[in-house]
Amino acid sequence: MQVLGFKCPIFVSNHGSLTLFILCILVGASTIGCSNAQSDIPPVEQRAQALNRSIMCPVCPGESIDQSQVALAVQMRGIVNEKLAEGWSDQQVRQFFVERYGPSVLLEPPTSGVSLAVWILPPVGVVAAIVVFVFVLRQMRRKPALPDDDDSQEPMSDDDLQTYYNRIEASVSDTEMRNE
Amino acid sequence: MVDAGQLALVIALVVTAYAVIASFIGARQRIPDLTASARYGFYSVPVLLLVSTAALIYAFVTRDFGVRYVAENSNLAMPHIYTWVAIYAGNAGSLLYLALVLAAVSAIAVLTIRKRLPHTTPYALGTMALILLFFLAIMLFFANPLERLPIAPPDGQGINPLLVHFGMFIHPPLQMAGLVLVAVPFSIAMGALAARRGGRDEWVDLGRLWGMVSWLVLTMGLLLGSWWAYTILGWGGYWAWDPVENSALMPWLAMTAFVHSIMVQKRRGMFRMWNMALIITAFIMAQMGMFINRGGPVPSVHSFAQSTMGWLFLAFMVGTLLVSIAVFMWRYESLRSRAQLESFVSRESAFLGQNILFLLVAFVTLWGTIFPVFSEAADDTVITVGRPFFDRVNGPILLLIVILMGIGPLLPWRRSTTQSLVRALRAPLVAALLTLVILLIVGVRQPWALIAFASVGLAVGGILTEWFRGTRSRHRRGEAYPAAFLNLLSGNRPRYGGYIVHLGIAMLAVGITASSFFSVQRDIAMIPGDVASFGDYTFRYVGAVHTVHPDRAESIAAFDVWKGEQLTGRMEAFRAFYPTFRIASTKGAIRSTPIEDFYIVPSEFGADDQAVFRVLINPMVWWMWASGPVMVLGILVGLWPARQPAPAVVRAPGGAQAARA
Repeated sequence: MQVLGFKCPIFVSNHGSLTLFILCILVGASTIGCSNAQSDIPPVEQRAQALNRSIMCPVCPGESIDQSQVALAVQMRGIVNEKLAEGWSDQQVRQFFVERYGPSVLLEPPTSGVSLAVWILPPVGVVAAIVVFVFVLRQMRRKPALPDDDDSQEPMSDDDLQTYYNRIEASVSDTEMRNE
Repeated sequence: MVDAGQLALVIALVVTAYAVIASFIGARQRIPDLTASARYGFYSVPVLLLVSTAALIYAFVTRDFGVRYVAENSNLAMPHIYTWVAIYAGNAGSLLYLALVLAAVSAIAVLTIRKRLPHTTPYALGTMALILLFFLAIMLFFANPLERLPIAPPDGQGINPLLVHFGMFIHPPLQMAGLVLVAVPFSIAMGALAARRGGRDEWVDLGRLWGMVSWLVLTMGLLLGSWWAYTILGWGGYWAWDPVENSALMPWLAMTAFVHSIMVQKRRGMFRMWNMALIITAFIMAQMGMFINRGGPVPSVHSFAQSTMGWLFLAFMVGTLLVSIAVFMWRYESLRSRAQLESFVSRESAFLGQNILFLLVAFVTLWGTIFPVFSEAADDTVITVGRPFFDRVNGPILLLIVILMGIGPLLPWRRSTTQSLVRALRAPLVAALLTLVILLIVGVRQPWALIAFASVGLAVGGILTEWFRGTRSRHRRGEAYPAAFLNLLSGNRPRYGGYIVHLGIAMLAVGITASSFFSVQRDIAMIPGDVASFGDYTFRYVGAVHTVHPDRAESIAAFDVWKGEQLTGRMEAFRAFYPTFRIASTKGAIRSTPIEDFYIVPSEFGADDQAVFRVLINPMVWWMWASGPVMVLGILVGLWPARQPAPAVVRAPGGAQAARA
C-alpha cells in the first residue's frame, strides 16, 4: 500500500502494527529491566529508605522524613541510619520514634484499637460496591421503563462495533454517491 | 484605586443578591422580565469583580503595604514579577480570585445555555448566583482582601517561598478554577431538576460540556501541582496523598464518573437519578476541598490559604448537601429512566462499574483523610493516615479502573453476544499478554507492576485496534490512510476525543507505575571535585556558589554528568533557605527523557564544603507530564462543535437505515 507515494508497512498489515506495539513495550521494558541502579544500593540503605518513607516528620504535617527538607527530618534520617548500622530491626526503629513522638509519627495507621477501623472500611466498601453494582443492575433490568419516547434510537444490534464500521463505510459511500 | 475596588465589591454583592432573588422568583412566577433583569444584572458582576481584582493587583505591584492583605503576603524582597500573581497566595485574595472566576464562567455558561434551556436557565442562574453570593459575603464580612491598615508598615511580611516558582503562575489558578468550575454543571443540573426538566435530557449536552471543561481544568491543576511538587519540593516524588492533594483529587474522581455516566443519559436516557447524585457528590467534594484547604481539621503542607473560617465552608457544604437532597426528593418523579437495561454485559453496565469504582476511590480517600479526626475524638489517640495506607488501598482499585478502561469502550451498547465479545477483546488481550511476556523476559518480577503494565497494554491495545480497524475500513472505501484516519476521528468526535484522553490516562498510568515501582534514590555526601556514579550515570560535583540575599541564602551546585561514556552536560541544582519562614526551597537538576529522569537535589550544605545530595533515577516520569497536552487535545476533539449539522440518518447501500452514532 502507498501513503502519499511512500510505502507504509506499519499501517498496512496487522503484523505491522503489532511489531510497532512490541517495539514500544521492548524499549520501555528494557529500561526498567536492565537498570542496575537498584542493585547498586546496599540492602541496609534500602531498608533505611523504606523506613524514612514510613515515618512522619513531626514538625511538617503530612510529610515523611524522606520528603521533608527541615533540619529535624535530616536529623531523624541520621538516627535511622545510625540505628540500622547498630543492627536494630525495622520494628525497633519505628518503636524508638513512637516512644518519642507518639503513634502519630507513623504514616501507616496501626492495625489495632480504634485505628483498625480505617483498614476495615475499604474492604467493606469494595464488598458494598459490588452489592450496589449488582443490585442497581438488577433493578434497572426489572423496572418497567417509561415508554421509549425517542425514535432516533439506532436499531438493536448484537455487534455494535461491526454496525459502526458498516455505518462508516455506508457514510463514505454515501458521500461518494452524492459526489458522483 | 483600592477604594474603587472596595466599592465594586460591595456593588457586586448587592447585584448578586438581587440576581438570586429575581431569578428564582421570576422563574417560579413565570415573569420573563424579572429573570431577564436578573440575567443582565448578573452579567455585570464579573466586570465589577475584575475591577476589585485589578485594584488588588495594583496594590501588590505598587507595593502598597497600607492594604493589610498586601502587607501580609508580599514584601519588597519579593521578585517583582511575582507581585502580579501574589493575589492568590493567601486566604482573602484567593477568595476574590475564586469569586472572579466563578462570576466569569457562570456568565459565560448562562450565555451558552440561555437559548437552548429557557426553562432551566433562571434556576441555574439563581443557583450560580447563590454560590457566588457566599464567596462575596465571606469576603465582605470576614476576610476583605482590600481592607486597609490604620498605619502602613514600611515592608510586608513576605510570601511563602514555596510559592515563588514558575508553577505559581498556573497551578493555583487552575486548581482553584477547577474547583469552582464544578459549580457550573452542578447549577445546570440543579436548574434542570428544579425546572422539572431533569428527566428530559435536554440539559445533558450542556451539562456534559461544562462537566468536561471543569474536568479538564481540574486535571490540569492536578498535573501541574504534581509537576510543581516534583521540581520544587525536592524529594523526587510528585504525589504524597497529603490531605490537600486528596481534597483536590476527590472532586476530580467524582467528575470523572460524571462525564462518563452522562454519556449513558445522552445515548440511552438512563442513569438520570444517578447523574444527579454524581454531580451533587462532585460539587460537595469540591466544597470539601475548599473546606480542608481553609482551616479544615487536618494539617497539611499545602494549606497556604489557612484561615479560621473553616466552619463557614463546612456550613456551606452541609447546606448545599441538604438543599440538593431536598430538591432531588421534590423532583424525584421527573427522574425516571426512559429505557431499560438489557444486558449485564453492555456499555451501560461498564459505565456503571466505572462510576462505582471511581466513587469508591473517592470515598476511601475521604475516609483516610478525615479518619484522624474521628480517632482523636474516639479515644484521644492521635494517628496519621499517610501514603502507605492510600497506596495499599487505592492502588488495586485504580488498577481495576485501568483494566475497565481497556474493556469498557469495546463493549457495545445495550447487549452483546459472547461471540462478538470475544472478537472485540481478542486484540487487546493479545496486547496485554505480549506486554506481560516481554516484561517477564526482560526481568521484571514485581507482580503488581506486571499487572499494571499489562492493564495499560490492554487499554492501549484496545484503542489502537479500534483506530486501526476504523481506518482500514475507510481505506477500503478509497481514502488514503492519513485522510482515512483523520476522517475517522472527525466522524465521531466525542468517541475519538475520549479515546485520546484515554491514551493520555494510559501514559499517566505508565509514568505512575514505573516511577512508583522502579524509582531508585541515594543520598550521597560529596566535596567539590568528587566523582560518584549511580546506575548508568557518573557525575562530578564541580562546586557550589553561595549568595546571600536580603530574604534568603541561596546555593547553586553544579555537576558534570555522564551517561555511560557520554558527557550529557552540566546540571545545576538549587537550594535557598528563607530564615523568616524557616523554609528551604529546592529546585532539582533534572535531566528528563522519555526513558528516565536523572534527578539531583541538594539536601544540605555543610560547613566544610561538604554537601549531601539526593540522587534519583525516576523511570518514565516524562510520560506523566506529556500526558497533559494529550488529554487537552482529546477534550478539544471531543468538544469541538461539528462544522455542519450531521445528517441524522444515512442510507446504507442495502437500504437499511442506520443512525449516525
